[in-house]
Amino acid sequence: MNAPLSHTGKRTEPSDADTIIEVRDLVTHYGETKVLDGVSFSVRRGEVFTIIGGSGCGKTTLLKHMCGLLRPTSGSIIFQGRDVAAMDEEELAGMQRQIGIAFQSSGLFNSMTVGDNVAMPLREYGGMDPRLIEPLARLKLSLVGLAHAYHYMPSDLSGGMKKRAGLARAMATDPELVYFDEPSAGLDPIMAAGLDSLILNLNRLLGTTFVIVTHELDSIRLIADRVLMLDRGRVIFLGTVEEAACCGVDRVRQFFERRPDEYIEQRAAE
Amino acid sequence: MSVRHTLTAGAILDRQGGEALHDAFANIRLKRGDEVFIDLSSTERMDSVGGAWLSRIVKEAFRHGVTVTWGHAGGGVAEFLEVIAPALRPAPEKKRAEPGPLEALGDVTIRFFTEAREFGGLCVDALYWTLIAPFEGRGFRFNEFLDEVYEMGVRAVRIVCLMNFLVGLIIAMLSAKQVEAFGLQIYVANLIMIAFARELAAVMTAVVVSARTGAAIAAEIATMVVQEEIDALRGMGINTAQYLVAPKLLGLVVALPCLTVLGMVFGVMGGALWGIVVLGFRPSIWYQQTLGAADMNDIIQGLLKSFFFAIAIALIGCHNGFRVTGGSRGVGRMTTRAVVMDVFSLVLIDMVFATFFYYIFKQGVPGQG
Repeated sequence: MNAPLSHTGKRTEPSDADTIIEVRDLVTHYGETKVLDGVSFSVRRGEVFTIIGGSGCGKTTLLKHMCGLLRPTSGSIIFQGRDVAAMDEEELAGMQRQIGIAFQSSGLFNSMTVGDNVAMPLREYGGMDPRLIEPLARLKLSLVGLAHAYHYMPSDLSGGMKKRAGLARAMATDPELVYFDEPSAGLDPIMAAGLDSLILNLNRLLGTTFVIVTHELDSIRLIADRVLMLDRGRVIFLGTVEEAACCGVDRVRQFFERRPDEYIEQRAAE
Repeated sequence: MSVRHTLTAGAILDRQGGEALHDAFANIRLKRGDEVFIDLSSTERMDSVGGAWLSRIVKEAFRHGVTVTWGHAGGGVAEFLEVIAPALRPAPEKKRAEPGPLEALGDVTIRFFTEAREFGGLCVDALYWTLIAPFEGRGFRFNEFLDEVYEMGVRAVRIVCLMNFLVGLIIAMLSAKQVEAFGLQIYVANLIMIAFARELAAVMTAVVVSARTGAAIAAEIATMVVQEEIDALRGMGINTAQYLVAPKLLGLVVALPCLTVLGMVFGVMGGALWGIVVLGFRPSIWYQQTLGAADMNDIIQGLLKSFFFAIAIALIGCHNGFRVTGGSRGVGRMTTRAVVMDVFSLVLIDMVFATFFYYIFKQGVPGQG
């Protein structure tokens, strides 16, 4: 199991020298279609890194490659000095135990209570004192504001609560890096704002690095340290939210200004 | 008189630091009403596992009637403790109140009648949408009915034929051995013909179909319930009995008797294979003997049974599918329940038929019908 992080309450500012995961020239195909085309970037330790873009631009595919759930056609993903794309099954499982993944639909096991869902990785990975599993699961649920839901079944939870519980499970083993697919999708604004603030708190308190796939502008503005924008499988922007707001790339401006496709045609005509 | 003990946590409250603190706590000789104060002034960092140890200490203390408090935490540690505070609150372990025998009996009775009412409602709806509504011009999904006949009937032909053939072979094998000493082996042909016409083809085919189709119906509808597709149908004002149940019911009512006829043929062929190849009877003799034992009443009895079996399998599958709760596990549970209920209902229907034909038509012995 991954060594737990220390919580000092002082978040270290991310720097380029402290890269936690690096994607180099990633290319992938679904059949004949090229989904990702030469994607390269690195994520700094302790930052909230968001991957944005329109529907079908390859965001979730990129995330699945970073988790080792998909193999690329070419390129590499370097995590702790090892290429995820070149790992065998056993190495991949070892890597996946050091990260946390929170899925869009939460991915909770319906047959278990919420507490058992969170405790599952602690039990399955081994190495944890059995006396600590239940308190640790409760603690993780407290972190996401669901301390009262330990004995609930996933079917008893609302959409937002399910996402929180999924996040608690993703963070059960104190991973350094958490991937979160569409945290705000399908949530009301209040619930979405709550989840954003939770991500910020966990990032600040635990120093956890978040890689978040989203297309919710409000969330991006609130939580993102840096933004990577994909368009048709290519990186068209990488920088801070402020830089994105005054970026000269039409597609990026269109996204941040919430304009329809006619905007691009209009700009081209001008 | 209560005593206040003080424990000082180390600079780092992690897995090791937490365990050391827990060991120190365990070494204190505590009695009910004592207080333990954990001084966190030296603690610079803590993590989740350290927090879990602290939670463990609180839980053990609570069990012994001892109060645990902590303080003097600074900066990030204090903030972290604040966030995880709900997990550190001592809580008495909740024991589920077991219902008394009368309460349990009442619960079972209510659940039985609720389910019976739901099943009755489904039967009425299904029969209306299958038998009456199409003639009132309210529509019948004919293409779906054909699809169901193909799925439930045509695609089950191979397994039904194979199962009946093998059962015919086995029965011929076993019964021939029993009558060998009397020189009555030719009557194995009669036995096979009567058994398959009246009983075995209908029951064996229905068991295969309930395992194959009954389970599939329950799983399909249960998955639709879980994925809110049934709610979507109802939300669109579409009657689920018309849309889902009627084509399946009529499909199986057509398919199962056809499969039963095939089952009879293949069961008899299985017996013939043993009689001709192993017992050495000439095919024409075995054929004549089989034909002589064939009675239209027996065949009709078998087919009539299969008709009722089909209704039971389709309705039980649909009923269990609609009753699902609890996601993917519920789907599995309801599918299993559907198959178990199917097999039980087959035996029950078979028993009713056996009793009916025995007392009403005095058909216990061949030739007396």
